[in-house]
Amino acid sequence: MAQDDPGATESRGPEGLGSQVLHRRRLTGDAIFRAVTGAAAVLAFALIALMAYDSISSTGPVFDRFGIWGFVTGTRWSPSFTVYGAIPFIYGTLLTGLISVLIAVPIAIGIALLVTEFLPRRVAGPVAMVVDLLAAVPSVVWGLWGLLVLVPTLRPFEQAVAGSIGHVLPFLGPPTPGPSYFAAGLIVAIMIIPIVAAVTREVFAATPRLQREAVLALGGTRWDVIRQVVLPIGRTGLFAAIILGLGRAIGETIAVTLVIGNSTNMAGSIFAPGFTLASVIANEFNEATESLHPEALIALGVVLLAIAVMINGAGVLVRRRFERGLNRAR
Amino acid sequence: MLADPVALLRPTSPARQFRTRLVMALAFAALVVALVPLAAIAWYVISKGIAVINLDFFTQDPPGDLSAVGGGIRNAIVGTMEMTGVAAVIAVPVGLLVAIFDVEVGRQPALVIRFVIDVLGALPSIVVGIFVYSLVVVAQGHFSGFAGSIALAIIMLPPIVVTTEEMLRLLPRPIAEGARALGLSRWRSFLSVFLPTAFSGIFTGVLLAISRAIGETAPLLFTALGNNFFSLDMSEPMQGLPLLIYRNALNSAFPAAEARAFGAALTLVVIVLLFNLTGRWMVARSRPSGGR
Repeated sequence: MAQDDPGATESRGPEGLGSQVLHRRRLTGDAIFRAVTGAAAVLAFALIALMAYDSISSTGPVFDRFGIWGFVTGTRWSPSFTVYGAIPFIYGTLLTGLISVLIAVPIAIGIALLVTEFLPRRVAGPVAMVVDLLAAVPSVVWGLWGLLVLVPTLRPFEQAVAGSIGHVLPFLGPPTPGPSYFAAGLIVAIMIIPIVAAVTREVFAATPRLQREAVLALGGTRWDVIRQVVLPIGRTGLFAAIILGLGRAIGETIAVTLVIGNSTNMAGSIFAPGFTLASVIANEFNEATESLHPEALIALGVVLLAIAVMINGAGVLVRRRFERGLNRAR
Repeated sequence: MLADPVALLRPTSPARQFRTRLVMALAFAALVVALVPLAAIAWYVISKGIAVINLDFFTQDPPGDLSAVGGGIRNAIVGTMEMTGVAAVIAVPVGLLVAIFDVEVGRQPALVIRFVIDVLGALPSIVVGIFVYSLVVVAQGHFSGFAGSIALAIIMLPPIVVTTEEMLRLLPRPIAEGARALGLSRWRSFLSVFLPTAFSGIFTGVLLAISRAIGETAPLLFTALGNNFFSLDMSEPMQGLPLLIYRNALNSAFPAAEARAFGAALTLVVIVLLFNLTGRWMVARSRPSGGR
């Protein structure tokens, strides 16, 4: 970057003359500049805060009627009887989130290890890029593929598991119509693999070189490097990656709506159809004509917002702690 | 990866070498498992999409009845381009200003802003849809393409701020010092030195933000709503490719709707990849000089 310094030759110009005047003008210019950028930042955040406030305040009637606690812990959702409770959807959101994280995290760690520890750099870049393509496919396209290809493929497998192990473990039991919490968790897992892998990759790549070489110099294998340096140093960062993946998973909407089966019942089996917070909003909002129905759906959005902010806030904080720890270690 | 002298130190114990090989094999298996769905979706979307795509598919509007054969997706393509374009026109300047403010105000406030931006970027997109519904759609009294644009702009804002800020912070110190030595005021430095120097990185961020927003369905459901007819009017409900795919997927029991959904999906994926890969290609190209 040494060559692109065109100003260097001009710096002998008469800029210094009348610096007093220049100085004052510069200050006003900069004051305006700061004011404009500051106003943009404040305005953008104020607008979004206003939207959040409007959404939350429009749910007033629902919370007035059921109480915040009553709504959040209500187990029944029945618009035709004006009964609204969020539990079936909170359950569905956490269950699909858990399934997706359980599937995605080991795969993402494997990919991150492969890219940072095993593959030569020339190959690692393109491999990482291909994995990132999973994230480039829009949610609705995953949903379309999930509905028409994945769900029919999964059905016989789900039936086989429910028919055998399902007798012993009820959470693997029937019903098995195809669309299910499990199908949703699986499709979300595919979608969050690149996100978890990308963060994990960064975490592993940030391992101090000296410590890696120390293990190698002591006669350690590359597995020893991973087990004794990369994983322990990256533990916090890995945790952050998992939380961020979970945060993304619970907000996934359209793909889930297309494969989860859309049932307001809360079933014990992961092969049963259900709903997540995001998918019930997407599915019912445009047809919500019963009394309090739209408000109750927005209230579900507020619950989702609260869960998402908690999870993602935790993820960001843990990630920062990892970065701080790394800076100290260096 | 390993320097040659280190390779000389490689231990010979077969059991320990086996463990490394095993982990390597597992890691490789993880990659293969992740690539199976990618290959599968590529195959399905391309083969089923190609089958319905012809010139009429891009130049005609869909039939009023989703189950009817024929028609195209012109209204959705135009709607997506219009809504995303307007969203970019809103999000890019605001994103640049927020990023510059963030770089300018110093550590503590910048951390707060970054935290807000990070949380905003992690908001479920359906929540963004609800936000815009509550403010814009309720105030207007009806769904509109403009509301859809606002929602997409909110989706685009965080990635634009994050990349712009990163690019500005990555600028080599001599450039900042050069600008100062020239006696440039701060605003002048940003306008004529910093932003042009960081341009390719910022442009990449914008492209990636657009590629993400263009495929979003959830924020459009309660804002743009969708429209079976061709419309350029931003104050009316507007169709978008993701909305069209979603509605046809819901009706995929009809062969015509399924075919239309796959054709539109192929179109959408190609558009998204066009932005995404251009952006990535620019990142790869700019890395040796300005990257980390």
